[in-house]
Amino acid sequence: MKLNLYEDKNNTDERVDVYYSNMRPVIRQLIDTVNSDRPKLKGRPADEDLDDGDQILLDPKQIYYLDHVERKLFAYTRDGVYRIMDTLSSCEEILWNYGFVRVSKSNLINIYKITQLKPDLNMKVYASFDNGERICINRSYKKSFTEYLQRMRRMSE
Amino acid sequence: MREYLKETLIELCCAYTIISVVGAITNFIYGSETSNANVIIMFVFCAIAVFVLSLHKILIRFSPLVMIIIQFFVSLGLCCAVVFALSFIEPVTPRGWFEFLRSFLIVYVLGAGFYYYRVFADAKKQNDLIEQIQKDHQDRQ
Repeated sequence: MKLNLYEDKNNTDERVDVYYSNMRPVIRQLIDTVNSDRPKLKGRPADEDLDDGDQILLDPKQIYYLDHVERKLFAYTRDGVYRIMDTLSSCEEILWNYGFVRVSKSNLINIYKITQLKPDLNMKVYASFDNGERICINRSYKKSFTEYLQRMRRMSE
Repeated sequence: MREYLKETLIELCCAYTIISVVGAITNFIYGSETSNANVIIMFVFCAIAVFVLSLHKILIRFSPLVMIIIQFFVSLGLCCAVVFALSFIEPVTPRGWFEFLRSFLIVYVLGAGFYYYRVFADAKKQNDLIEQIQKDHQDRQ
């Protein structure tokens, strides 16, 4: 994508014009950045010893995956686990453009953090992350997962 | 339930059409003939296969390998029950039972092997896609 920057010290009407062919995730991210509403998830450390009551803003880039356990939603990052005060389906909607895809009833994974997909001998397919953890890709979500990857691939071209 | 029945019936029609056409071609090539009883047995076996394969939605909590094994025993049990019931009308010789088991096993093992191959091939394709997406993402940053 071509980027033009024009510096004019006397400009009082700063603006960004975006010329795009289709609304790809990168364009959506650009719009969110300009509008200063790049999604951030509010979370608190899952470990009560580390929880000082303050909410932490999590950038989607930091998150490996979201896990819904016993009606609670947790975000896993390199540094730790955070409890998110939101539902999995709303996170799925918000983070769709940021590489997050549903792979089971309770998991949303960040495809940019996957190191490898590997089937086990029992034919279950697992997504491995660089923090050593792995998440099972449920076979009922396999089709939508592949479609998401194909769509992201087309959009990133 | 209605949707499930509709879907299952369509699958049964497709499966039976393919099998009967293949059977007719085979008979034509080898100059053999199929009896009426065989046609009915083929249809019943098709119905069992379609029903057992449609159980995969119920068996989603199990791993694919466990699902394949469960489906194998359920379909084998049902097919054996059909052959056993028919043996009261027309006796089935030990050789007939052997042929039945052999035919059943060959098709099932081939199908399971193909499914196993597809799991690995699909994972490889998905890995390639992820790699390309990540590369494009890094190039942009």
